[in-house]
This record gives sequence, structure tokens and C-alpha cells, in this order.
Amino acid sequence: MEQNEEQTGGTIQDFEAAIAELESVVRKLEEGDLALEASLQLYERGVQLSRFCHARLEQAERRIEILNERGELKDAPAGFDDEDDDRRR
Amino acid sequence: MSLFDLFEEPEPPAAAKRTAGPEPAANPAPDAAATTGDGVESASPLDPERQSDAEREPDPAGDATKALAGKPGRGGTARAADTARRIHSVSELTARIRTLLESSFVEIWVEGELSNARVWNTGHFYFTLKDAQSQIKGVMFRTALQRLRFKPQDGLRVVARARISVYEPKGEYQIVCEHLEPEGLGALQLAFDQLKERLGREGLFAPERKRPLPALPRKIGIVTSLDGAAVRDIVRVLRRRYPNAHLVIRPTRVQGDGSALEVARAITAIGTVAGIDVVIVARGGGSIEDLWAFNEEVVARAIAGCPVPTISGVGHETDVTIADFVADVRASTPSAAAELVVARKDDFTGRIDRLGERLTAAVVSRLRRLDTRLHQLVARPGFAAFPGRVALRGRFIAELTHDLADASRMLVSVRLRRLDALRRQLEAHDLRHRLATIRARLVAAEGSLEQAVDRQHQRARVRLATGLARLESLSPLGVLARGYAVCWNAERTAVVHDAAQLAVGDAVRVTLARGEARCTVTGTTPAPGGA
Repeated sequence: MEQNEEQTGGTIQDFEAAIAELESVVRKLEEGDLALEASLQLYERGVQLSRFCHARLEQAERRIEILNERGELKDAPAGFDDEDDDRRR
Repeated sequence: MSLFDLFEEPEPPAAAKRTAGPEPAANPAPDAAATTGDGVESASPLDPERQSDAEREPDPAGDATKALAGKPGRGGTARAADTARRIHSVSELTARIRTLLESSFVEIWVEGELSNARVWNTGHFYFTLKDAQSQIKGVMFRTALQRLRFKPQDGLRVVARARISVYEPKGEYQIVCEHLEPEGLGALQLAFDQLKERLGREGLFAPERKRPLPALPRKIGIVTSLDGAAVRDIVRVLRRRYPNAHLVIRPTRVQGDGSALEVARAITAIGTVAGIDVVIVARGGGSIEDLWAFNEEVVARAIAGCPVPTISGVGHETDVTIADFVADVRASTPSAAAELVVARKDDFTGRIDRLGERLTAAVVSRLRRLDTRLHQLVARPGFAAFPGRVALRGRFIAELTHDLADASRMLVSVRLRRLDALRRQLEAHDLRHRLATIRARLVAAEGSLEQAVDRQHQRARVRLATGLARLESLSPLGVLARGYAVCWNAERTAVVHDAAQLAVGDAVRVTLARGEARCTVTGTTPAPGGA
């Protein structure tokens, strides 16, 4: 599948670029009196972009860190997270 | 210099000359009169008329002695004054003046307009306070000046709390100002206006300086106090709207002396943490004094210098700080700041899902159009009334037609399989819920596509069967004219209808609308699942 992705389109730059390209793919497909083959290629690219975007949305790590005065990053003490508060209540 | 300035004014010089006149009379203090004793007369030398009288007196010779005896003459006056007058040194006098002034004006409030305002490089602030008639020199020492939040400048009307101080070496007096406040506006408001005006002129608030927030922040930096409600609000909002957000908090004091510097340092520090691509600067609600750090220049500069876009969320909706003007985006509260960061995520999730839906819908519709074309192709009169006046046998034509329909069907089903595979890729991902409806629609569309092809196929068969009867009498040339070709074996004894019958190097003959071609097979592609 990874291979497929590489075959079908160029590398995806970043989230914003992916969204923009996905939009243009959908527009082309919707407008399109494209050849069947081209349509399917576009579709594949669209699926790939959509997957990338979703992956990117989930990519951020759920975490809270504290940057102290010495410039060190430490995980926030347990219970800092609001949800933990809720659970305790 | 300042002494001269003062004394050159019309009023003070008169007073100065008077004090510079013969000693005792100059002293307006009551004890001066007492010490001069009989010197009630001693005021006379100051009186021009009396003085001239006294000078004229010796002229009438006979009166001279009488005058001497009866009244104190010039010499008498001088002698009397010598005993009566107490001669001060300049230092003594100045010291007395100083004591007098400094003890009388310990704490006074004085209002006026600032002029000649200047901070010397010692850090002390010198100025002249004036109104329409008078002016007075003033100084404000560095430590007091530093406590001022606004910048005292020429033309500003102020109220000063001050004491009088006399500088003995120069004989100058001035007010020493402990506190200064602008008249009318509060000091804070004035400070706010002044800084806003200055930074605005510098272009720090210009719209073209505003950077767009990242579409999807990798790490969100937060500069605020760990004790306040602000940090809780932000974390709660972010957790709700962007559960997997990665937050980096740089705690700082947000009020009190020196807090502005701390906030500024925190902003600078967090802006350089790897991966942070947006910074929220926040503080919960409070009085204007509580929020003051966010109106300080050092914070404004730190925000302007932050390498990544900033969102300010200070105080309540109605609070506007200098930080708000400099930040790339102003949020009305800390929670609103958190919402601005993650609202984008919500937007994008919806947007991607809608795009995914449209993407699939567009392909499905494309396949439907294909289906329709197939439909039309098979239903075409030329096809239905397949020509038969030909050397081809009916059975063979039927087979040929069958193959054609099969091939078309295959064409569609290959695509459907691919679509299906792609769709699964889409599903394999987290679109499950969102795409459930799409999937259902796709399955239905697929079903109807296949049904349509089947139906069409069936109808074509029926039409073909009924048309077969007429086939013999019709010319195949019409068919060939439309571009169909018939492929024979080399001997032209049988029609080739399966690539599997052929091997590379085989010779075949191809009957075209006009003429025939002898061809050599260079390769074959067996039809997957074909006839």
C-alpha cells in the first residue's frame, strides 16, 4: 500500500497542502468528463490524501509538559489533566 | 542657571532687590522688627522720599544740629542700625530660608503643566511645572520615577505630590516630586494610551504583521500562571475539543512587581521549543492593575518577537490589553484562545470527511455514467439489428456479441473491484462512522450497476435472438464500417474469439471494412474470467 501511495502521487507536503490538494482532486472529479482511468487515479490520490489528513489529525501526542525556568521539559504532574480531575470527582 | 531664570522674572527681582537692601528692613519676619527696636524708623532709608528728605536736611545750616539732636540723622541712623541689625552670611540666610521652606512644605500637592521635561542620564527626571502666571522647578528621583507607569512629558497636566527642597550651594529651591499623576485620565489609562500610540506608530499592530495560525498545531505552547483559573480553562477546552493535543506550559507569575519581565521571558523561552507552532498567552480576569503586566512594553515586544504565531487571551471579554494588539490573534478570554486553536481541528475533521464523501460520490457517479453509456451502446439499433447478410454464421455472431457484452461487463467489474479496494482503504481508516452511510450508498450503487449491466445484457440477448432471424439478409459491412474487425485464423477457416487460441508468432487474418490484413501475433492477453 505504501508503495501504491508513492506510485500514485508525489509526496504529501503537510496538512494544509494535503487538504488543498484533496479539494482540487474532488473538484476535478466532480467537474470531470475525465477518462475512466484518470478518474480512478484521481480517486486513489484522493483516498491517499484523506488518509494522510486523518492520520495527521490523530498524530499529536496526548501530553502535557511543563517548561521550567532552566529550559527543561518535564511531564506535568499527574492529575493536572482535567479528565483526571473529572474522574476523581 | 535656574536661579537666574527665576530671578529674571518680573516679580521675583523686585523682591530680590528688597531683600538685598539695608539689612534689617529687608527682613519681613516679625522678630526682625523686634530686634531693630527703635528702628521703626529704620525702614526709612528704603523710602526714596524720606531718604531724600534726610539728605536735604543738612543743607539748611541752622537746622543741622537740631536735626542731629532731634532726629537720628544719617550718621545716627547708621549707628542705630549697626546695633540693631543682625548681619547674616549668605550661608546663614540660605540655611534659614531652607529650614523655613523645607519645614513649611513637607507634603504638598501641586498641579500644573509639565515643561522642559527631561530624564538625565543619572535616571533622575527634571522638569518645570507651570501655570499661566508662575513656574517652579522640579525633580523626581529615579526610584520614584520608575514607579510611574506612564511617561511624563511636556504639555502634560499633572498633579504632583512633593516637598520643597532648597539647594544651598546655588540658592535654588525646587519641588522634589514623590508621585505624579496625570490630571483627568488615570495614570494607567495614560500609560496605556502612550504605549499604544508609540507601538502603533512603530507598526507593531499592522494587519500585515499578523501571521495565520497553523492549520493543525503540533504542540501548543501556553504562557500563564499555574495557579490561576486560566490554565485550567485552557486545558479543559483543549481536552474536550482536541483530546490528543500536546501542550507545553511555561508557568510564570502574571501579576505583581516584575511580572511583566517574567511573562516576557516566558514567551521568549517557549517560542523556541522544538515543535511548538503556536503560543497562547493567557491570564484570567482581574482589575486593570492585575492585568497590567500585559500592558507593558516588554511583554508587547516579546509577543512581537515570538517566532511562532501568538494568541492572546487576557482577562474577560471587555478587557483589552496592549498584548491583544500585538498578538497575531486576539481571543477575548483564555478559554476562547483555546477554542481558536482547536476549532480548526473540528473544522478540518468535518472538511476532510465531507471531501471524502464527495470524492466517493464523484467516482460512483462516474461509474454510473459509464453504465449508462454501456446501456446505450448495447441498445443501439445497429447493434440490436446486427447485420447478418454475411459469410459469418449466426452462432458465431451470437458468440461474438456475447463476448462483447462480457468484455464490457468485465471492464466495469474490474473498475468496481478497484473501487471496492480503494473504498476499503478509506474504511480501514478512521472514517468508519462518517462513511457508514457512504458505504451503504456505494454498495447500493454497485448493486444497481451490476443489475443494470445484467438487465442490459439480458435485453441485448433477447434482441439479438429476435434479430438473428434477419441476420442472414443483412450485410456485415455496416458493422465493419463502424470499426469492428473480424479476426480469422491463418487459413481463414475459423474466427478467433479467444486469445487463448493464439500463440506468439501465429499468423492471423483480420477482415476490416475494406480489405483484409495479415498479421502476426506478438503477444496475447488472456481475458481474466472471460468467455
